Order: sequence, then structure tokens, then C-alpha cells
Amino acid sequence: MTDEATSTVVTEVACPLCGHACDDLSVDTAGAALAVVAHGCDRAVSGFARLGAGSTAATPRIAGAPATLDEACAEAARLLAASAQPVFGGMALDVSGARGAMDLVDRAGGVIDHMNNEFGWRASRAVQDGGGINTTLAEVKNRADLILLVGTDAVSAQPRFFERCVWVKETMFDLQPASRRIVYLGGGLDTQPGHSPDGRAPDVFDFEPGRMPEALSVLNALAAQQPVAGDAPLGIALARWQALADALLGAKYSVVVWTGPAFEVSQLDLNVGAIVSLVRRLNVTTRCNSLPLAGNDGDLSMGAVHTWQTGYPMRTSYASGAPKFDPLHNGIDRLLATGEADALVWMSSLNDLQAPPVTDVPTIVIAPPSLKLAAEPQVYIPVATPGMHHTGHFVRTDKVVTLPLQALRRSALPAAGEVAVVIATRMKEMQS
Amino acid sequence: MSVIKLTGGRVIDPANGVDDQVRDLYIRDGRLIAAPDANDRISAEYNISGRIVMSGAIDMHSHIGGGKVNIAREMLPEDHRGDPVERTELTRSSCGHAAPGTLAAGYRYAEMGYTAAFEPALLPVNARQAHMEMGDTPMLDTGGYAMLGSDDFLLRMLAAKEDQQAINDYVAWTLHATQTVGIKVVNPGAISAFKFNQRKLDLDEQNAFYGITPREIVKVLSRAVHDLGVAKPLHVHASNLGVPGNVDTTLGTMDAAEGLPVHLTHIQFHSYGTEGERKFSSAAARIAEAINQKKNVSADVGQILFGQTVTASGDNMVQYRNAGHGSPKKSVIMDIECDAGCGVVPFKYKDQNFVNALQWAIGLEIFLMVDDPWRIFLTTDHPNGAPFTTYPHLIKLLMDRSFRNAMLDTINPDARAMSNLAGLDREYSLYEIAIMTRAGPAKLIGLADRGHLAPGAAADIVVYKEDADRERMFEKPELVFKDGELVVRDGRIVKVVRGGTHAVKPEFDIGIEKKIKPYFERFHSVRMNNFKISDDELCECGGGSKLIAHACRKRG
Repeated sequence: MTDEATSTVVTEVACPLCGHACDDLSVDTAGAALAVVAHGCDRAVSGFARLGAGSTAATPRIAGAPATLDEACAEAARLLAASAQPVFGGMALDVSGARGAMDLVDRAGGVIDHMNNEFGWRASRAVQDGGGINTTLAEVKNRADLILLVGTDAVSAQPRFFERCVWVKETMFDLQPASRRIVYLGGGLDTQPGHSPDGRAPDVFDFEPGRMPEALSVLNALAAQQPVAGDAPLGIALARWQALADALLGAKYSVVVWTGPAFEVSQLDLNVGAIVSLVRRLNVTTRCNSLPLAGNDGDLSMGAVHTWQTGYPMRTSYASGAPKFDPLHNGIDRLLATGEADALVWMSSLNDLQAPPVTDVPTIVIAPPSLKLAAEPQVYIPVATPGMHHTGHFVRTDKVVTLPLQALRRSALPAAGEVAVVIATRMKEMQS
Repeated sequence: MSVIKLTGGRVIDPANGVDDQVRDLYIRDGRLIAAPDANDRISAEYNISGRIVMSGAIDMHSHIGGGKVNIAREMLPEDHRGDPVERTELTRSSCGHAAPGTLAAGYRYAEMGYTAAFEPALLPVNARQAHMEMGDTPMLDTGGYAMLGSDDFLLRMLAAKEDQQAINDYVAWTLHATQTVGIKVVNPGAISAFKFNQRKLDLDEQNAFYGITPREIVKVLSRAVHDLGVAKPLHVHASNLGVPGNVDTTLGTMDAAEGLPVHLTHIQFHSYGTEGERKFSSAAARIAEAINQKKNVSADVGQILFGQTVTASGDNMVQYRNAGHGSPKKSVIMDIECDAGCGVVPFKYKDQNFVNALQWAIGLEIFLMVDDPWRIFLTTDHPNGAPFTTYPHLIKLLMDRSFRNAMLDTINPDARAMSNLAGLDREYSLYEIAIMTRAGPAKLIGLADRGHLAPGAAADIVVYKEDADRERMFEKPELVFKDGELVVRDGRIVKVVRGGTHAVKPEFDIGIEKKIKPYFERFHSVRMNNFKISDDELCECGGGSKLIAHACRKRG
């Protein structure tokens, strides 16, 4: 989709660098680095520049020494075949990378756990415990008359949230975008993007983030017309809480935005449960929906493929030959810390900033050449990035929309999914 | 060339009028041929004398892929624990009963002799994911019916009184953009109405914002599908699913198509009266009579069978209403992208529960009272009425009256008293089962080279050992061939293959994109060009599945 035959600028590019997956970027492919020239947030501009290099001197390595791709895959296969309980971390992949990883983890009898999954598995548990009532970005853009941000400013996770979903030019229905009411629950947030285009300030309930369970209890009680003790819960006048509850009850289509990493880990289930409860209560008389923000680093892409292929979310062990789901037992940090894991595979084609943990067990790193490693792994295989060097697919924050990722320029490096499949094939040859 | 010979089987091939005739079958290059020629040699021969031979079974309505199915999987680890699929040298590990992983689903379908399944509620905006899940469902050819009818683009067209030609172009554009084989409408207009806080929408009730009724939507969409020459009639999940007395809505929905072909899906859930003390009764007789009379109408049953399952539907209005009946009590309800919605509610059908028991009887009554097996299809609306793995049991209920009556004796006695099932003597024949599960679906969807065994057909072939216990017979065929390759022997996978994706390619005026493109830019969250799935991308989504494109002959 270039502007014209001679242009080096590709338009309508989907971005895999956060869960929002904006698909309106323009990227100039002429230079040494990919340059986002339109609609790029800071994360997109720096990410495309860093990950999108065209040529690289990087080669696979075995114990620090250069090796061919075949040799490195064979060595990885040997290490995995010798491992009783390998663990797969990182996992910042698109759908094709995730498909390859699934092939390999089943063969290797391992466990997959995404770098964001300390929050992700708890969000999944909330679905398994109660479910929810959710919406998606285009519904927010066209219908939301009140947006309640719970513990998050949205933009820290997904920078263009307000630009693309809130302060838009028009909606399909009888709603002026600038008239939307924005409410932040919790302190320490960047509330500037919540100001309306005509300068109206958002309503901010500023309190210590660790007190979120209390705040949600107050709102739940008021929405259910139950009494609340004290005249200033969390130091905020009860009348303001009441006004918020009334506004939610009076809104035609309110949206409650939350994201797992914004909550204290120990409170995540509690907070999500309270949000679900509030949303259910409001739907008795009007419409209200949650909008969980996720998808960063391909966590929803990896999670979706894992779930659809095998039935279970991540933190499932394939060691016995059949999937066994146990999210408490199968966290890879825990498995590495206790010595239960005896090999680590770190796969990441979308995130070159988070390095694998340093561990004594044999480590295989399948990652972009721009990833800085704290220690030399037994096997290192540099890979290309989907949406930059090869096509792919990326699951967006709402778990509904999957964006096609384009190949903007060639790379001599393989895709992460292809590497995983080659290693799995080598293992099969060894085992037969 | 090398030829595979199947010798001496008893062939049941209703599409070609063949009923239990001993014939030899020859396969060359994935297709049936009349007989080998001078250049051929028999590379493999299977002596199947005495065995029953049918073409591969086709499930025309099964929720096997897409966002709501994956929500159901994520939500139900307790569903999966008792149903593991272990890794073998050939197959991957997976699991699940009501909401199985795609790998488990593909293997199990093939092991039961199915060679194709169609996802009936593919949300256009979720089409990529649905195709990716179906691509990861091994062994089967797949396809989807794209959901329209609560999408704001269509409702805006109707409100603006745009002409039928423009609507036809939009429908055709959607079929191309989503790479699907048909169009479905779910609770017409009501998914949109729910977003405006309407909690029910009768056939002639207006959407609060658009002023459009379900009847109008069924009328224009059935017309569009017909005009475009799409073989598969409009697939209609009618208004008021599950509501006592909804029979009138269902009959009205048939009429809304104004004589054009229309398919009423999971019609069991739409065949309820209000008689009796509990104001819930069977209206199967009225429904069956209507189907028997109206030759433009077809239906699949959506039989319920007792046990734990999960309901996954695009009908968020009804699923929200029924969430309180969930077991275990949890649910996910979604509004989706100014396009559609979904609702996932686990459900346990109990034989001693009056309503569930009567639902069971109503489904069977419909099967037995509809005369023409070419217009009634064997489905459980997997997983909504029961998982697809119950099909052999359902076949036994249809083929074996004494078994059926023995089961009837065990259900809730009040429900039994409200049903005329005991008085229905009909037993389906193998020929009729072959129509309902093979020839009929292929004809309905327009799969000219599937669902039959004439020369030229794709060699999707199933060989059963005759067994008076029809459940045992149908749950474990001896041999299954997919496109000429032996893939299952004695109910076990012997070769893993990847099926293709069926999609129709109706002609249309691409000028419709002049309206669609700016609509996406103004109101949507993705660009039109990133919404559309090209042929090449479809294959990538499918992990390498090939596109099986079907041309359409315009009727408009």
C-alpha cells in the first residue's frame, strides 16, 4: 500500500509495539532504519528504528562462537532433548511465532509463560471465576459517554488511546465526542490526555493506588444503593462518590478501562472481580462495559494461539504428554528459582528491551539482534521482527481484532516461528 | 498413475441415488474415477466387502473457531481436565470436551468420519482469527458464514433506504473481505439494539436508533444472498431464541424471506409454545408442518443432549438474559466493533429438568416430523446443544425407535407427558442419515465435488463396519480417506493432513468501497484495507490451508 510506485513510504501500516495495534502508520523504508513518518507514538518511532534495521552482521552463536543456523538449531534441539523440564519465557511473538513455539513446546514437554503473564494469568483466572461484560475499541469510539479509568491512565500502556478512541472528530450516534465525561480512579496517573478538546478537565479521584479495592467497594455499594460508612471514603467527600455512581447509573454507555499491570499483583483478582461486579450491576438498568487493556508484547497473540490449539491458557505443562494447566505451579520464575526447570528458551521477536533472566540452566535465546544480553547463552539465534521484516498477525487489546502485519523490508534473518519449527523437527529426528 | 481401490463395499451415495449397492471405488490423485485406465496401476487395495461406504460427513453448523469459542476455552479449564488428547508420534497434544482445542477438534471430527465443518457465526471483524483457528483445526475442510444484520454499516444503509443493489454489493464485498461461503444473521438487528439498551426485539419491533425491524433485515439479506447467486441460503438465527411462545416469531421469520431460500438454524431453540401449567410446550408439529409445506425453507435442528456444555453465540442480547441460568455460573458478554457481539454461558442440560427434557424431545420431534431429509440437518449447534462428539448417539436416537423410547422413559415425566415423541414411529435409514450428514449439506452450501461419490468427486470417503448399534458404528469408522489419503484407521489418526478453506466469490461493483473506505476511517478502529483478507493472506491465516474458491452465478 504505497502512495505511488516510486515512494518508499508505506501507509496504513499496523504497529505491533503495543496492544492498541494502530494501523494508520506511515513508514519510510528508504533509510538504514525504518522511520515512522506519520501517526507514530514515541514507542512506535523508536521501536521501528531499533528493530527495523535492514542488514545485520548478527549470526547464530553456540557458547559465544559463531555458528550456522542449522548448527544452532541442532544444538538447541540437543539441549531440549536432554532437558526434563524446559521452560519457555519472553514469548513476545506474533501469531506465526506463537504457532511455531507451540509446536516446539509440545515436542519438548515444556511450559510457556509470557513476560507479561504474571498479570495475564490472573486476568484469565478472573474470566474463569466469573467472566465479564466487555467491549471493543470501535464501540468505545462511537458510544462511550462516560469513561472510568481504574488505576490506569491508559496512555502509559497504549499511548494513542485518547487520540484514537476518545477525542475523535465525530461518532455514529447522537454523541458529541468532546462531551464525554472522563473519570480517573487512583493517584499517580498522567491525567493530561483526559482533558477534552474544549479544555474541560477530567474528574480525578486521587488516592493511594494500593487502596483500589476500597474504592471499588465504595462504588459497588453506591451503585447498588447500599450505605457506605463515613462521609469521606479514602479522603474524598462521599458526595463526589455518590455523584460518580449516579453518573454511571445515568450514562447510556459507560466504559470501565483497566489493565492488569496497573494493579498491585496481590490485588489484581480482587480489583478485577470488583470491576466485573460493578459492570454487571450497572447493566441491570443501562449499558456499561469493561475494556481491559492488554496485548502489549504480543501477550494476547501468544495467549490466543496457546488457548485455541490446546484448550488451555499459558502456564500449561506438556511434560506428561498431555496438557496440564496449573498457573500457580507453572510460573517460569518459580520453576527456575526452585530448580525444577532445567533449560530456558527465551523467544521474543517483538521486544528487544527485556533481557532473559540470568540463570544457571542451559539457555537458548531466539531474539532480535538489538536485544542486549546480560550473559552469553548456550545458543543464540537472531531473528527478524514481524510487521517489519516479515508478514504476520497480531491480536489487539480487545481479543477480537487481529491486524495483518506487513513485511516492510527484507532481512536475512529467519522468523522466530520458523526457527522453533526447525528445532522441533531436529528433535523429532533425534527421537526417532 | 497410482490408483487406490476400495473393493466390494456397500455404497450409500444419495446425491447419485445409490442406496446400498455393492460397488468398487477407484481413487486417483485425490479424486474418484470411474475406472483405472491403461496407464494406471493399483497401488493399494482395500477389501471392504460387507462394509458401508459413504462420502465424508459435513457439519454445516459447528462453532469451531473465532473469538467466542476461544473465550469459552479460556473460561473452562474444568471442562478440559477430563478430556486430554495425548501427544503421539503423529499428533499434537490438546484437550477439551465442550470447548476443545482446535487440534483435539480436528482429530476427533476425523475419527468420526467428518471431513468438513463450517463455522456459522464468523464476525467479519474477527474473520482473521476464525480462519486462523480453523487453519489450526487439522484434518477438515472449513468455511464460515459471515454475520451481518447488526453491523452499523448495513443498518445505516437500511435507514438511508439505499436500494437492494447497493446492499447486494455490500454483502458481496463482505463475503470477499472475510473469505466466507455464506451469510448469517443472528437475532436480526437485536445485537445492535442491545447496545442501545433494548432487552428484546420482536420480528416487527424497531431498533430504537435505526427504526429498522428484524423482518426488514431478513428480507433484504435473503434477497441479497439470492441475487448474488450464493448457493447457501441466508442462515438465520431467528429472534427470541429460547423464549416460550417463540414459534410464531419463527414462522414469521420464514415468511420474512418472501419465498426466497432461507435456512433457519438450531430451530429446536425456536420451536416453543406456551401451553401447559408451566407455559412451556412443544411447537415442533407446527414448525415441521411449515417446513414440509414451504419448500424454500431448510433448517438444522440444534439438538440438545444431556450433560455439561457451553453456549457460545453471537446473540449477546439473549445470552445476557440467560446468563443467570449458567452452570457453572459465569459468563462473558461482549459488544463488538459496531459489527456484532457475543455471549458465552456454560450450561448443563439435565434430563430431570422439565425444560431441558422437553427441549430434548422437541428436537427429536422435529427430526422425525420433517419429511424431507434434504431440508433438515443433523446438528447440535456444537457446543450449544451438546458437543459434536455426541453425533453418533444422536444418530442412534434417530435410527433406533426402541432405544429412543427407552431414553424417553428416563426423562422428566412431566416433559414426557407433554411430548408426542413416543407416538413417532419413524426410524431414519442409513440412506437418510447419509443425506442429512453428507449429500444435503454439500448441496445446501454448494460444494459440487463433496458429499457424494461419483467420478470427479473429491475422495473424502468413510468406511463403516455395519453394526446394529448405530452409535458404535458411527463413532468409530474403520477407514477415513481425505482427498484420497488414508487418514484414519480403526478410529485412530494415521496421517495428519490440512484441509482447505471454502469461500464464495460473487461478482459485485467494487465502487461500493467508495462508501466503505471513508466509513472505516471515520468510525472504525481499523482501516478498510486492513480489514479485508486477501486470498494470499487467507492461506497464511490458515497456516497454509489452500483456498477453495466457488464462483457464483448472479440471479439479481
